[in-house]
Amino acid sequence: MAPIVETHDLKRHYRMGESTVRALDGVSIAVEQGEFLGLLGPSGSGKSTLLNLIAGLDRATEGALRVFGDDLAQMSSDALSIHRRRTVGIIFQSFNLVSTMSAAENVALPMLFAGVPRPERDRRAHDLLEAMGLGGRERHRPPELSGGEQQRVAIARALANNPHLLLADEPTGNLDSRTSAEILSLLTDLNRREAKTIVMVTHDVGLAHRYAHRAVTLLDGAVVPESAS
Amino acid sequence: MTLGDAVDLALRNLNQAKLRTALTVLGVSIGIASLAGMVSLGLGLQDQFVGRFMKSGMFDAITVMSPQDRPGIMAGGMRGLGAGPRGVARSRLDDDALRKFGALRRVKEVYPNLRVPVELKYQQVTQSYVATGVPMSARSEGAFQTFAYGGFFDNESDNTCLLSLDVAKELEERNPMTLIGKQMTLTRMASSDEARYTVVGIIEREPGPPGLPGATYSAVMIPLAKMREMSAEGRRSYGQATVKVDAPQFTQDVENQIKDMGFMAFSLNDALTGAKRAFMILDIVLTLIGSIALAVSSLGIVNTMVMSILERTREIGIMKAVGGSDGDIRRIFLVEASVIGGIGGIAGVVLGWAIGRAINFGANVYVRSQGGPTGNLFSLPLWLVAVAIAFAFIVSLIAGSYPASRAARLDPIQALRHD
Repeated sequence: MAPIVETHDLKRHYRMGESTVRALDGVSIAVEQGEFLGLLGPSGSGKSTLLNLIAGLDRATEGALRVFGDDLAQMSSDALSIHRRRTVGIIFQSFNLVSTMSAAENVALPMLFAGVPRPERDRRAHDLLEAMGLGGRERHRPPELSGGEQQRVAIARALANNPHLLLADEPTGNLDSRTSAEILSLLTDLNRREAKTIVMVTHDVGLAHRYAHRAVTLLDGAVVPESAS
Repeated sequence: MTLGDAVDLALRNLNQAKLRTALTVLGVSIGIASLAGMVSLGLGLQDQFVGRFMKSGMFDAITVMSPQDRPGIMAGGMRGLGAGPRGVARSRLDDDALRKFGALRRVKEVYPNLRVPVELKYQQVTQSYVATGVPMSARSEGAFQTFAYGGFFDNESDNTCLLSLDVAKELEERNPMTLIGKQMTLTRMASSDEARYTVVGIIEREPGPPGLPGATYSAVMIPLAKMREMSAEGRRSYGQATVKVDAPQFTQDVENQIKDMGFMAFSLNDALTGAKRAFMILDIVLTLIGSIALAVSSLGIVNTMVMSILERTREIGIMKAVGGSDGDIRRIFLVEASVIGGIGGIAGVVLGWAIGRAINFGANVYVRSQGGPTGNLFSLPLWLVAVAIAFAFIVSLIAGSYPASRAARLDPIQALRHD
């Protein structure tokens, strides 16, 4: 079966004044259906850049990037927004919830852009929050929730339009170890029970090895060969 | 994203910054109030003046003269004023001619202008005046709109007359009102047939100079039918006649047809056209003045939207990350701007109306103290209300389009890094 995500010699360069920053400099990886992949590497290694490219938040400078067979480089910005809306669910280190909206409204936001009618949006947001163990917290706003609770809201939001691919960028970076373990077991659950493919960026090698099926390590914008990691 | 969802989001966002929203809405409403107020002032003034002129019966009236009888100022070189085309046989202004005028399209009424010198006897006083015949249709037109005392003829068969206030004062200096109901004797000069007439009304003044088209005001006025009787003897043609048309816009056409029949004719149509042009210029100037305030308030919308986008950069990044397209983001902010514009427009029309009423009230108090006629300086027709609100809406959409497309173009990764 073809991989869900496939990159070939993927490059992302930024211009910073006079110099060029090679955030990604020829990365070729493949993510299989149902896989839980850890993207490892120190800060500045390009792992978040790679995740943003897969998420369709950013565009590659060069190289090929296919997600479910679609070439993201060829997509218009509208097509990319549909990719973000339908194909992937993104979970951030800093949660990125809208602080003026309730938990339920945050979860409903991707469905709003997908044109889901309001009653269905409300029902699904309620169900997702319930499944995340946040029943009764729908009306709370993010500042009234703990970090772990906020990340659960974010996961519920990522699942709103039922994507097959979850992209998590340091999802436990702002959480204590006990809460981190809870969030990671939630992701593991989603991977096992609902067959969600997960790509998780982390700098914690131990975490990656404990939860992920496989780890790819990046350094200075390139994949470190298996034997060296 | 549906429009309903966009409106929901926009209202929620506006509600987050109540003070800023309220101030921006106030700005727009002042802009719209000044624009609507100025236009409404222009319309009101136009209604006041043109309306009054229209009612004066001068603009739907054509004065026709037989070429033989043209007065001195009309003679020679004044072809433009109505001498018939060269080569047309001189026509007599007689009852036949009047019937022909009456048969023309759009003609409402035709009557001869009968002016006769009379001797008026009242108690011990005998005075000479000019008497005119007034058609019954002149009721509530021109000089007959307002009476100092009494009113118009009840019918044209009674021997009743109207006096000008000047004449009334000559006869009864202290209290001209007491003349109402009194009888006086009118004798046509150089004849002996007297008739007794009862005074029914006294008129203060006329709005235009004497001799204008349709003007039948004079020192002594009697019903036209009575005047025909008084002046009928030996008359084969008239010096002047008045042709009234259905509405002022037909005046020129009918006037030309009468000229083609070989008569002299003139109307004040050209003067009305000039007055209308002057009011159009006044309207444009007032609209421009009003627009300045609206232009300033539209900058307020731009400012509010730019501020709002700056504050919500991260939120825009989040919306893009979860699948909001550039178009969705643009729509949210455009709806936000148009809600400001719509509310501001409605508030502005209400504000403009209230200010207009207040100024109108003050102006009328002053006018009344000066003894003038009161009226509405401001006219706010329904179409102006609709146009003003629609205009607020459109201006706010235009003002919101720059901030909205700036928001739509934000790079999601940059926006997510923003605190």
